[in-house]
Amino acid sequence: MSLDFLQVSQQVQQLGEKAVQHQLDLKDKLTQTSELLAERSQDIEKLGQKVLEVAHNYDPTLRCAIPIQEALNDHFPLPDLPEQVTLIAADGSQIFADRHAEVDYCLVNTGAIWMRYGLPDAPKTSIQSQLIFAEEMEGMSDDRLSLQRDMAERVRLLELARQVQAPLITLTDGPLEIWTTTLEEGRVAGEFKKNLEKYLDILHSLRELNATPAGYVDKPGADLMVRLLEVASAKDEDLAQMRTYRPFKGVTDSVLYEYILQPGERSAVFGIQSRSSKPYQNELALHFFYLNVGRPGNPYLARVEIPRWVVDAPTLMDNLHAVLVSQCEMIGARRYPYLLHRAHETAVVSIEDKEQVTQMIVRELHKRGLEVAGQSAKQYNKDVSGTRTRYGT
Amino acid sequence: MPVAQIDAPSFGALVRVVLDGDYQVYGMIHDIHIDDDGLVRQLVTAEGVEEAIIADNRVNRNVPLEMSVLAVGYKLDGKVSHLLPPRPPLSLDVIYLCTSDEVREFTSSGRFGYFRHLLRATDLPVGELLAAHIQQAGAMHAETGNVEWKNAATQELITLLRDDYAMLMSVLGALGDMG
Repeated sequence: MSLDFLQVSQQVQQLGEKAVQHQLDLKDKLTQTSELLAERSQDIEKLGQKVLEVAHNYDPTLRCAIPIQEALNDHFPLPDLPEQVTLIAADGSQIFADRHAEVDYCLVNTGAIWMRYGLPDAPKTSIQSQLIFAEEMEGMSDDRLSLQRDMAERVRLLELARQVQAPLITLTDGPLEIWTTTLEEGRVAGEFKKNLEKYLDILHSLRELNATPAGYVDKPGADLMVRLLEVASAKDEDLAQMRTYRPFKGVTDSVLYEYILQPGERSAVFGIQSRSSKPYQNELALHFFYLNVGRPGNPYLARVEIPRWVVDAPTLMDNLHAVLVSQCEMIGARRYPYLLHRAHETAVVSIEDKEQVTQMIVRELHKRGLEVAGQSAKQYNKDVSGTRTRYGT
Repeated sequence: MPVAQIDAPSFGALVRVVLDGDYQVYGMIHDIHIDDDGLVRQLVTAEGVEEAIIADNRVNRNVPLEMSVLAVGYKLDGKVSHLLPPRPPLSLDVIYLCTSDEVREFTSSGRFGYFRHLLRATDLPVGELLAAHIQQAGAMHAETGNVEWKNAATQELITLLRDDYAMLMSVLGALGDMG
């Protein structure tokens, strides 16, 4: 036992006390945001204009929703499932570089699974494993590898989209846009830009196939709508301090929409105002909606990100809406798209897998008469004391 | 292994583990079970599981399928023995399903000495296990014209169980049910 539970228990008590106060504050804020949402629900054009003005004149880092054509509190019932549609899901997993390990390498594993709605056939699966070594390891970081993993997922989705029968939906876990936290750093920025261009090409190709690419964000913690309402509530004198003007801070979109969306319903579709979404222009422009995939009395919201061309095609929107709810219903009580879970399961790299790959490399090097540095003393002692945990995904 | 592959080994089948070139251990499968995992438990809470999802779980997913094997003899330097093996198989040794020739060789060697190991395993469904084994092995012997093996095996069981009427009835009942 390495924790001082006496100390922790006192802090847990403080946490509980604070949580009660926080809950009360949030309740007040939620009431205000709900009222404001209803009050400003039809101000679509005016609010859109104000968001652009604030982003342009006061806070270029502003990240919030932009209303486009549907009222802010609109909600749309569950459409019928299409008779036939192909759903492809891809997910990635990786072995990060570990300087304490015996050998220096990384690995990206991409799992994909696809099924045809309307047919009883088992879905098909594929795994692609890419070992990264030698000069490819130069300057490797967790961020870079994560970016390579995300790109591999998207490349695989396009490959499969070209092979399967239309109409088709492609699904990834998380936002639709690719992302790296070290965007500003020169080398990574250059690499990110290259990947971004490639990704935009992938999206264009999916557009040509009339596919419906979607990013599924489970348990979303974002406040894009809440931030829009903060912009809406800001007076002229508040605009200069827009970055710190946060009257509804703490309220999340999902809490706000839990009260609006009935099970199976989706919200209105909104655009995204953010610096990182700027490269996605015109028909690739990023949009989102909230979807209640829960059950009566037990709402559970997801955010779904889609490009503009899907928003403009009611049939694609309805098919995506219906298929996502159906996917979540398939898995039972804890609602999440079945195929996305299976893609994750197909891709996941376990600690045993990592060990095996490491040993394969060690054997190969020994076979060729090469020296292997061996793991660090730190790693050795960790292993011996049995503190290692399951390898992350 | 995907559940679709389970048609190979079956209850009562003879299997072998090769420990080194001239030493192998024989065993009989007395239990096969599939432990449902978290996803399967989750799926049963859904209202009506679609055919495609059932097929996915049976064809694509690796599910933990476990078989239990009772050691019944061994082969050393080309000679089959129905005594318990001197050394057990090691972890991760590969188990092979015996071919018809191997089953005929093992079961026709000696005088059914391996029945003792089965009859001693009172925590197993001995009657069902013996009946399944005699039916499978009997069919393999019949393929080569030896229809007597099944009768001889049954007679041996009657002799071994002459003082245990309840067990004898259980085994003969199971054999009778299998026809």
